[in-house]
Amino acid sequence: MADVKKHDTPKVDELKSGPWPSFVDDIEQKGLSGKQACLDLLGQLELSYTHKETHWKHGGIVGVFGYGGGVIGRYSDAPEKFPAVAHFHTIRVNQPASKFYNTAYLRKLCDMWDHRGSGMTNLHGSTGDMVLLGTTTDQLEPVFYDLTHQMGVDLGGSGSNLRTPSCCIGKARCEWSCLDTQAICYDLTQTYQDELHRPAFPYKFKFKVSGCPNDCVAAIARSCCSIIGTWKDDIRIDQEAVKAYIGGELKPNGGSHSDRDWGPFDIQKEVIDLCPTKCMWMEGDELKIDNRECTRCMHCINVMPDALRPGTDTGATILVGAKAPILEGAQMSTLAIPFIRMEPPYDEFKEFVDKIWDWWMEEGKNRERFGELIQRQSLQEFIRRAELKPIPQMVKEPRSNPYVFWSEDEVEGGWKRDIKEFRARHAA
Amino acid sequence: MAVDMEELKQKILEFATKKAKHKSKMYIKDLYKADPNAKPREVKKAANQLVQEGKLEFFSSGSTTMYGVPGFGKSEEDQFGKLEE
Repeated sequence: MADVKKHDTPKVDELKSGPWPSFVDDIEQKGLSGKQACLDLLGQLELSYTHKETHWKHGGIVGVFGYGGGVIGRYSDAPEKFPAVAHFHTIRVNQPASKFYNTAYLRKLCDMWDHRGSGMTNLHGSTGDMVLLGTTTDQLEPVFYDLTHQMGVDLGGSGSNLRTPSCCIGKARCEWSCLDTQAICYDLTQTYQDELHRPAFPYKFKFKVSGCPNDCVAAIARSCCSIIGTWKDDIRIDQEAVKAYIGGELKPNGGSHSDRDWGPFDIQKEVIDLCPTKCMWMEGDELKIDNRECTRCMHCINVMPDALRPGTDTGATILVGAKAPILEGAQMSTLAIPFIRMEPPYDEFKEFVDKIWDWWMEEGKNRERFGELIQRQSLQEFIRRAELKPIPQMVKEPRSNPYVFWSEDEVEGGWKRDIKEFRARHAA
Repeated sequence: MAVDMEELKQKILEFATKKAKHKSKMYIKDLYKADPNAKPREVKKAANQLVQEGKLEFFSSGSTTMYGVPGFGKSEEDQFGKLEE
């Protein structure tokens, strides 16, 4: 075993006493196998618990040649005590679409990271990247070379760049997917390489792709531009399977929640009454749906997957502007395009992206997310710059604002009025 | 009309060097002021080319990226110390 020094960490060790596996155990185990950085990291964490403040400094000029993202500089502010984490940079690795790996790749990546870094990883970061935790500045270029030349992968996005696009499992394993999410994710990643690796924007920008309105990557809550699969035609109904659910031969929710006896399946109570737009009913033993009223909540399809399936005329709904709460609180995406075909080469979608990026690059303030620009300059301005047609679905809350603001060129005759002519009909 | 990339790069470099004397890190939006007639995408392209040439450098906090001029402001070593061999 390599000669390593374990720090005294009573506070950090407390975390090992809970009922769940602790990250402290994992890091300590790795440290004792010969990685001093892991033990120094725990030592520094103990110091932070004692002082109740962080001992990391982050940011810097570190990076790899030609890239303005993918590496996040991190340094200890107590390097004398913890020299193995004096430099402790993070590297983001662009994950393959839907995070499909094979073990040979993962083994190779871990071997490389044991050799060139701390050996610690985080699978995956919130945006989806594989996160390699902790290396020194002189190892950045060799790591980048190994990743790109030996493993065929690239760095992910960080800083004021396009962040690594991410997608759900899509058609690879999910029969509800209305989109080839992986193809879209890969295409966007390749198309926008420059934006991904070289800072172009006032702040970060995220694409996320979900194959259906279940939105398994939470695109609607987390991405500046959410691409969510939907369908235009009717929900497909297998009436025999509906009867099988009612009769108890098929288990609702694909057999989930079966650890408790919920009683016999009640289609009225568990499906029809829960439909948010009340667009379902039974006619005898046949289930009927008024598809015009369906809001794609997916509840009925989730409960009775053998009986109900999304339609076959598929595309995507595009929403924009979600973000986490730094300014003005968290914000969900706002609907921009209710239905768009998402077939290669996705030209219509990319034209939309170019328009909204142009607006944001011109008008966005430093560190202003795209959703915050819409908040600041209005949805109306967004619609104008994206050259969209306003539709009722874009309204956040009905009647929250009773005023309609027209611009002068939208009003016949503009704002100029002949006051004399007006006063002839109206006393002052 | 497309801008002359070399001319734009020169303007950005002059602007950034002048500004760096007071403030060593700047946002891409600050660099737009180097040539008000240039489009944001052109400025970004020119600024990134200057980074490739080593005339500007990136500074990333992880969440935001800024541009600096090498030699101005604190160097990486001044700020964070040199790693012992």
